[in-house]
Amino acid sequence: MPEYTLVNSKMLSVTLRNEEVFAKRGAMIAYTGRVDFAPSSSGSEGLGGMAMRSVTGERMTLMSARGTGEVLYAFYGRHVTMVHLSGETFYAESESLLAYDGRLRSGTQFLGSSGVGGLIRGAATGSGLFTTTLTGSGELAIISDGDAIALDVTPDRPVFVDPQAYIGHRGQLRSDLVTDVGWKTFVGQSSGESYQLKFTGGGTVYIQAAERGGNR
Amino acid sequence: MIFNARNLPSNDNVNPYAFCVDVAGEMFIQKGKMIAYYGALRFESLSAGPYGALVKESFNSPLYANDFVVVTGQGRLILGDRGNNIASYDLKEGNLTVRGANVLGFEPSLVCQESTVPGYLTLLGTGKFLASSNGAVHFLEPPVRVDEDALLGWADMPSPSYRYDYGYMRGMFGMVRSMIGGRSSGEEKQLDFTGQGTVLIQSSEMGLVGSTALDDVLARTGSLQQNELQQLLSHINQRLQQS
Repeated sequence: MPEYTLVNSKMLSVTLRNEEVFAKRGAMIAYTGRVDFAPSSSGSEGLGGMAMRSVTGERMTLMSARGTGEVLYAFYGRHVTMVHLSGETFYAESESLLAYDGRLRSGTQFLGSSGVGGLIRGAATGSGLFTTTLTGSGELAIISDGDAIALDVTPDRPVFVDPQAYIGHRGQLRSDLVTDVGWKTFVGQSSGESYQLKFTGGGTVYIQAAERGGNR
Repeated sequence: MIFNARNLPSNDNVNPYAFCVDVAGEMFIQKGKMIAYYGALRFESLSAGPYGALVKESFNSPLYANDFVVVTGQGRLILGDRGNNIASYDLKEGNLTVRGANVLGFEPSLVCQESTVPGYLTLLGTGKFLASSNGAVHFLEPPVRVDEDALLGWADMPSPSYRYDYGYMRGMFGMVRSMIGGRSSGEEKQLDFTGQGTVLIQSSEMGLVGSTALDDVLARTGSLQQNELQQLLSHINQRLQQS
């Protein structure tokens, strides 16, 4: 299986032994050995997933790297965080996904399934009503503006998150969009800050110290 | 490392770009900088009813009143500012003047007033405040001359004056400079600090990454009609011609 190593906080090295890795388009910065690159619109999700993706419009532009060698990835100085999955599902904003391989099955999830909150969440983050899911046992790399911060959620300790800072989550979590009564005073003068994502259940939420859509 | 409500740093940086505040009572924070929190916290406008006395005591800046909110309750609040560095400062019977956009939050034990230098806020008294900067903050002792773009603020010292390079002055005598209308760089115009105190600079000549005001404006252009967009365009053109 592909071997993931962080060269530094902003650069990822993937060692391939006649294997394949899927990574964000434009993130490859160098490679050694014999590696072939090809655009992949599907990743490891198969035809059904592809059809779902084209219907839902959740765009994930991936490059597949196949062969034997070492590939280095970095993306505009963003920080790289490795996430280890063991039979779980990771929900990611597709733009925050840097690399994964065939051990994880990718798909799209309709956020509306978690109720109206989920629907508005997509609208609030501006990244659509669908999110990318990765299921299985293996590693994946995510990118964030500043180090990614992992926040634990337990049934008695919900966490509230700025939708703009959300990058992904794992575990049995329910997300609801809540509006603080006090924030209503700002409607019409603030952008997305009047909404907070409330995560309840058991799992981990990943956030970044920057709002999406910044100038870099 | 997975953080939870117990193991988050207490009034300290989570990483260089995120800061965790233990809220117990009230605190002023810049609007839109909350990235996450545990616990029972409320965010209220300064104009909200119960804070009249608090604002009267601690927040004396009409210009920035819409940029700040009061957070109340018990909980752990994580602040982030578009990936800029965040640091906290403790004032003890002191005064510190910081670029207004960089003030992320402060305890109500401090008094916040507008500096006579436009765009800067002065914090007086004893307490903690948070400021963001593009790159890490560096401290300097006067006498020192600083590029205004890199200046974050100054503490316990008189306000600065401008110092122009002689070459720039000479250019002014010939009125060439004003005709070209070129923007001056840090090499020909600096802020001159004298006296006792500390000067704070950031490790970049660029201001903060991104602009909340700009994001705000851009986000709202989506709902504008064709003729409103035309009006906005002519307004922007007017502003550009003036400057």
